[in-house]
Amino acid sequence: MRRPLLFGGGCVVFFTAALLFAATADRWFEDVTKNAGVAFPHTNRSFENKYAHIMEGYTALGAAAAVADYNGDGFDDVFVTDSKDGGKNRLYRNNGDFSFTDVAEQAGVADGNDANNASAYALWFDMNNNGRPDLFVVRFGQNLLYENLGNGRFRDITAKAGLTRYMNAISAIAFDYDRDGRLDLFVGSYFQPVNLFNPDTPRFFPESFETANNGGGLTVFRNNGDGTFTDATKKAGFELAGWTLDIGHADADNDGDEDLYLAADFGTDRFFINNGDGTFTDITETAIGIDSKKGMNVDWGDFDGDGLLDIYVTNITDDYMREGNFLWRNNGPDDKGLLSFNDVSRETGTFNTGWGWAGKFLDYDNDGLLDIYVVNGWVSASEESYVPDIFEMVTRPGIDFADARNWPPMGKKSLSGYQKKRMFHNEGNGGFRDHAARHGIDSTRDGRGIAVADFDNDGRLDMFVTNANAEPYLYRNTIPLGTSRNWVQFHLEGTKSNRQAVGAQIRVRAGGRQQLSFVNGGNGFASQSMQRVHFGLGTAAQLESVEVRWPSGARQTFPNLPVNRIHKIVEGGNPLAFDAKAQK
Amino acid sequence: MIRRNALILLLAAAVLPLWGNSADLEKYEKALLASPDDLRTGNDYRQAVIKAKEYDRCIAFFEKLTAANPDASNAFLNFGFAYVDKIPDAGSITQVILANTALAHFTKSIEIQPSWIALYTRGNSYLYWPKIFGRAHLGVADLEKAMEMQRKDSVKSYHIRSYISLGDGYWKMDDIEKARAIWQEGAKHFPSDAQLKARLSREGDELKEYIDDVLDPNKRVNTDLHELWEAR
Repeated sequence: MRRPLLFGGGCVVFFTAALLFAATADRWFEDVTKNAGVAFPHTNRSFENKYAHIMEGYTALGAAAAVADYNGDGFDDVFVTDSKDGGKNRLYRNNGDFSFTDVAEQAGVADGNDANNASAYALWFDMNNNGRPDLFVVRFGQNLLYENLGNGRFRDITAKAGLTRYMNAISAIAFDYDRDGRLDLFVGSYFQPVNLFNPDTPRFFPESFETANNGGGLTVFRNNGDGTFTDATKKAGFELAGWTLDIGHADADNDGDEDLYLAADFGTDRFFINNGDGTFTDITETAIGIDSKKGMNVDWGDFDGDGLLDIYVTNITDDYMREGNFLWRNNGPDDKGLLSFNDVSRETGTFNTGWGWAGKFLDYDNDGLLDIYVVNGWVSASEESYVPDIFEMVTRPGIDFADARNWPPMGKKSLSGYQKKRMFHNEGNGGFRDHAARHGIDSTRDGRGIAVADFDNDGRLDMFVTNANAEPYLYRNTIPLGTSRNWVQFHLEGTKSNRQAVGAQIRVRAGGRQQLSFVNGGNGFASQSMQRVHFGLGTAAQLESVEVRWPSGARQTFPNLPVNRIHKIVEGGNPLAFDAKAQK
Repeated sequence: MIRRNALILLLAAAVLPLWGNSADLEKYEKALLASPDDLRTGNDYRQAVIKAKEYDRCIAFFEKLTAANPDASNAFLNFGFAYVDKIPDAGSITQVILANTALAHFTKSIEIQPSWIALYTRGNSYLYWPKIFGRAHLGVADLEKAMEMQRKDSVKSYHIRSYISLGDGYWKMDDIEKARAIWQEGAKHFPSDAQLKARLSREGDELKEYIDDVLDPNKRVNTDLHELWEAR
């Protein structure tokens, strides 16, 4: 009697083990957050003013991550923000073995949160072209600029740089809009510059859910090249007062300068074309049309391989609000030179990601096609929903939305909470399919940012995902490499162009296909990905050609570069081997 | 008097083609001022408004018309539809405000005259609200009354609408058995109806996806009532 039972039991064990093995083998991301030493949780800001009942829910932001190799050792490091009063921001130095050490205190960049400021985002950019990324900490309150001293320490130069200003900013990117070889700062602000921690007016909430024009807008700080910045917002052609959540740049029309997409909450996203003379023109109506959605994220990538950069914008899609995302397919300029985009989110299957936040293009399986990872969820708390409360307010006749006193308290209620993240795999047929569950990256935390980087320089893109009021996730990419998953990465360094090479486009031809990517200056909500440009190459074992178009306008072409390695290219020079000790 | 009014309505309906030009909207408005409770002219006016995208003009017109004619049940019905017609062109929050306002006018119409079309309309409108608002049971109650009315009547082609919507209402209340039963009852009367077939051939997530798509507020709801007077 025993034997069959044992045999049967063994069979179950074997079968279960086989299933587990199959599941693990098929899962290409591993959650290494705790083992890597980066599990410190983010905490939302609490308020003690008379609008506290509503403020905490509506500022459940600030969980951000920014990637750069701040110490030049060849491994990308991560700066991660907290938001609570007294909460420490983290500078996770990459130890090169997929472990990290928080060195923020020693580096002098830990103190970003106090009674009058809450960290919301961070951006690395080489403001002085010295090859060391400096750190801009974006805050509800006043921003901070830290100069990287190159010895592992940073110095607060905000005042010296002329950046002391109350802004309530939520996003920032850096690119050289006037092509003078220096990175300029574009800062998106959510609220108006009222003191959120002790407001002197109750009228600082959005005046409308669809056409609000009482937000913080956009500020452009032109880099003077002497360590200071000048507000060039109006001169550059911007006069915006929307509730900016994200901004993203790229050369949309391949004319050599950087154009701009601005995603606004409670109103219309805006598209600006760079006139090439230090000014921009708002071409929203003809390029993308006027929308009334809740734009959260801007990322650019050529998902359809047509040599034009497309845009992914997340909005809100839930039972009670079915906005849908935008996947703006770039049509390129028409006969009259007019640039336009078509939203193809529905037909591509990338329309619904719940209450979306960051959505990043990345080729996680190195098949040569850009996939999209999206995080989502606003507030995951009790089972009780906040939706009826908000709609009771919305349908009240004559309501003044701008008055914070009219907004119902959120308490412990949830709003679009516990939403599953999506990994849209590009199927190569014009459509995408969600593979998040398969890879174990479909968590239900309230996601905010996705910093994509190859933290161990192994040619596989990893992801640092930030979550509001929760621990982040560090997902290590474990995809089996081999002859069908070749890759290449480029680390560019400008000489005539800005040293960080932001805006440089790279076109690689391999396996008979051409791919386009570029160095971006911090695109994507609440997260800055690595500066290196990564291409998945599928079965292509050789690069037929690589063309670099530098921000200066210079072009260089390199034939027959080897694959499965990181190439460093200095403007005007030949490709070099990337730091050998860092390259596996 | 009643006969004379009916004759005027019929004549008006016969004379007025379905204009789409915004300049011609004035002609519909004049006709409605003469016959405020004329459902058909009001319907044709709204269809012309949809073509001309003059939603606010239409809403303003019916606002005045109903204020001047507080007993005109059909004017209130068209007033509600005027808000529904604007929904696809509105942002997601305005959609809610428009839908809520439309419900108020449908309710007024029912209070004046609880007709089949008014009950069906309000009942169906409730179904567009997400589950979280708990309005599906109100929709089902209206649709059950409409069903009761049509069961006492000879079968008309437009009765198919109640079978579909009442089933959708039961489905929204998680009573899939009752939903299937009413769709099947509808299928006996309308065996070739594609919408009923689509529902009866789907289950689970597939059915949910289908109904969610049907009840997507971003898609234009067909508020053209011409079936009512073309019914077989």
